Amino acid sequence: MIKIALSFFCLLSFSLAYPQKTKKENRIIIHFENRANGKKIVLNDSIYSTIFDEKYAVHKLKYYVSDIHFITQKKEKVIKEVFLIDAAKDNTINLLMPEENIAGIQFLLGVDSLLNCSGAQEGALDPLNDMYWTWNSGYVMFKMEGTSNSSPADKQRIEQHIGGYKGAFKTMRMVKLFCIKNKEITIVMNLDKYWDGINKIKIAEMPVIAAIGEEAKKIADNFAGMFCVAD
Amino acid sequence: MKLKVLFSFFLFIVAALIITGAEKAMYNPTPVLFKIPYGFPKPATNIFANNSLTEEGFQLGKKLFYDGKLSKDGEVSCGSCHQPFAAFSTYDHDLSHGINNNFSTRNAQALINLAWMKEWHWDGGINNIEMQPLAPLTAANEMGETLDNVMLKIKADSVYRRMFRNAFGNANITSSQMLKALAQFTGSLVSANSKYDKVKRGEASFILPEQKGYEIFKALCNSCHAEPLFTDNSYRNNGITLNRFDDIGRQKITGNKSDSLKFKVPTLRNISLTLPYMHDGRFAYLDKVIDHYTNIDTTIKNLDTQLRKKIILSNIERQQLLLFLRTLTDTAFTKNKRFLP
Ligand code: HEC
Ligand code: HEC
Repeated sequence: MIKIALSFFCLLSFSLAYPQKTKKENRIIIHFENRANGKKIVLNDSIYSTIFDEKYAVHKLKYYVSDIHFITQKKEKVIKEVFLIDAAKDNTINLLMPEENIAGIQFLLGVDSLLNCSGAQEGALDPLNDMYWTWNSGYVMFKMEGTSNSSPADKQRIEQHIGGYKGAFKTMRMVKLFCIKNKEITIVMNLDKYWDGINKIKIAEMPVIAAIGEEAKKIADNFAGMFCVAD
Repeated sequence: MKLKVLFSFFLFIVAALIITGAEKAMYNPTPVLFKIPYGFPKPATNIFANNSLTEEGFQLGKKLFYDGKLSKDGEVSCGSCHQPFAAFSTYDHDLSHGINNNFSTRNAQALINLAWMKEWHWDGGINNIEMQPLAPLTAANEMGETLDNVMLKIKADSVYRRMFRNAFGNANITSSQMLKALAQFTGSLVSANSKYDKVKRGEASFILPEQKGYEIFKALCNSCHAEPLFTDNSYRNNGITLNRFDDIGRQKITGNKSDSLKFKVPTLRNISLTLPYMHDGRFAYLDKVIDHYTNIDTTIKNLDTQLRKKIILSNIERQQLLLFLRTLTDTAFTKNKRFLP
C-alpha cells in the first residue's frame, strides 16, 4: 500500500517536472507476413504446392529474426533484440529508427552463435517457446511442421527443424532488403522459395530434418531468397 | 515555475530512494564464494559469471534436484539417477530408470567438478550447464515432462514461490531462473578431498603400491585422464566398440565422421563409487576396464593414437594401478551434508 502511494507520488512529481515535453520519435512499424502460393499462410487450413507439385499443409511455422540493422548513409543502427515470428500470432514489430533516411534493412534469420551459447534466457529465447534443441544445445532457427501426401515419413508428416550454429553447419543467414519507402512496411516471407531457392528441395526426399548437417545447411542457403519487402 | 520544477524533482529523488531502499530490504540474497581447491586450475569459463552464486539460489537448486515433482509421474528426480553416495551417478546400474519403466540409453554420469567443463554429457552435446536440465526433463525415457508443465507445477507451489522470490527477487517465476538455480547446485558439486588430494597437499602419503600405481597411471593414463581433474575434457576414441543403440557419440553432435565413437574423457575421481563403467556401463568392475585397456584392438579406425601402442601390465602392476585409482575416492564429498537432500 505504502509502495503504491509512493510510486504514485513519484510519478506525479515526475510529470510535474517535465510538462508536455515528449518528443515525437522516429519509429518504423514492420509487419512480417508469411505467404505461400501468393496467399497469406493460414495454419492447418489451405493446401499449398511446391515447384515439384508436392502438396502440403502447414501446422506450425516459427522463425527467429535478430540483429536488425538499418542501413543508412552514415552509420548503422543495430537493434539488439531477438524476435520470434510465429504464424499463429500477429507479427508486428515497432522499432526506433535512425534520424536520417534508411536505404535498407538487414537482419539475421536465426540467432548468432553467442546467443546460442549464453545459457538460460528469457523472452523470445526462452526454451518454453519450443525452439531449443535439448540434446545438442542450440536454437532451431526456423521451424515448419505440416503434412504432405508426398512425405514418406510416419503419418505423412513434414518436420523441418533447421538449426546449427557452428562451423560448416551453421544455419543462420543474413537477409538484406532495400527500397524501404515507408514508415510502415511489410516484409514477406515467401515459403515457395523454401523449396525453390538456390537449392531445389523435394518433400519426398527430406520430409524430416531434425539435426544439424548437410540437409539443414541446404535449406539455410535458401533463407536469404525467401524475404522481400511488399510494395 | 523554475522553483516548482526543482522542488518536484527533489521530491522524486527522495521517493525513488525510499522505494529502492524498501525493495533492497526484501531481496537480499547471500553471496556464496566459489572456492577453487588447492592445485586446481581456474575454470576455463566461469559458469557463475551470469548466474551469481547465492545461498538462496543453491538451496533452491538443491530442492529442485531432489524433487520428483519435476517428472511426469512425480517419481523420478534428478537425484534418483544421480545418487550422492555414488558420487551422483546411478549406483550399480548400466542404464538408469526413467518414468514408466523406461531406461536411459546411456550410463548416468557422475556429477563431479562440472564447473571446470565447457561442455556436458558423454558427447558434449550441452554447451552451457544452465541448459543441461532440459535434456532429462523433456526426454520421454527420463523425466518425460514438458517445460510448460514443470513451470506450472512449480508456480503452483507456495514453498517454491517463496524460494524463487528469495533467490531471484521477483514474484514472476521463469524457466531461466529454474535452470540457473539447478546450475548453482550442480556447478557447486566439487570433489577435492580424496587421499590423492591429501597427498598433494602434504597431509598424507601414498603407501608404496599406491605410489607405484600412480607412476603407472602417469605413464599410461594421464594424457587423457589428466590431473588434477582426471580429465582433459577432450573427446577420444578409447577403443570402445559400437553398442546396441548405435551410439556414435561425438559424431552425432558435430556431424563429422572423424568423431565417430569419440566420447568425452570422464573424470576418474571417485571412480570406485561410480560403477559400472563407460558411456553405456558395459564394464561392471574396474578390473574389466583394465582388461579393456590391455586388450584393445589396435586396428580400430578412429582409435586414439595414444592407445595404438599395446598396453602390457603384469598382475602386480595391475593391482598397483587399481590401488592408486582407489585413492581418488572422496567420501567427504559423497557425505557432504550440504549436497544431501
Ligand atoms: C533417468 C535418469 C536421469 C535423470 C532423471 C537425470 N539424469 Fe542427468 N544424466 C543421466 C544420463 C544418462 C546422463 C548422460 C547423458 C548423455 O550423455 O547423453 C546424464 C548427464 C548429466 C549431466 C552431465 C554431466 C557431465 O559430466 O557432463 C548433468 C550435469 C546432469 N545429468 C544433471 C541432471 C539434472 C540437473 C537432472 C534433473 C533435472 C538430471 N540430470 C536428471 C541420467 C539422468
Ligand atoms: C586416449 C585417451 C585415454 C587414455 C590414454 C585412457 N583413457 Fe580411460 N577413457 C577415455 C575415454 C574417452 C573414456 C570414455 C569412453 C566411453 O565412455 O565409451 C574412458 C573411460 C575410462 C573409464 C570409465 C570411467 C567411467 O566413469 O565410466 C575408466 C575407469 C578409465 N577410462 C580408466 C583409464 C585408465 C586406468 C587408463 C590408463 C591405463 C586410461 N583410462 C587411459 C580415454 C582414455
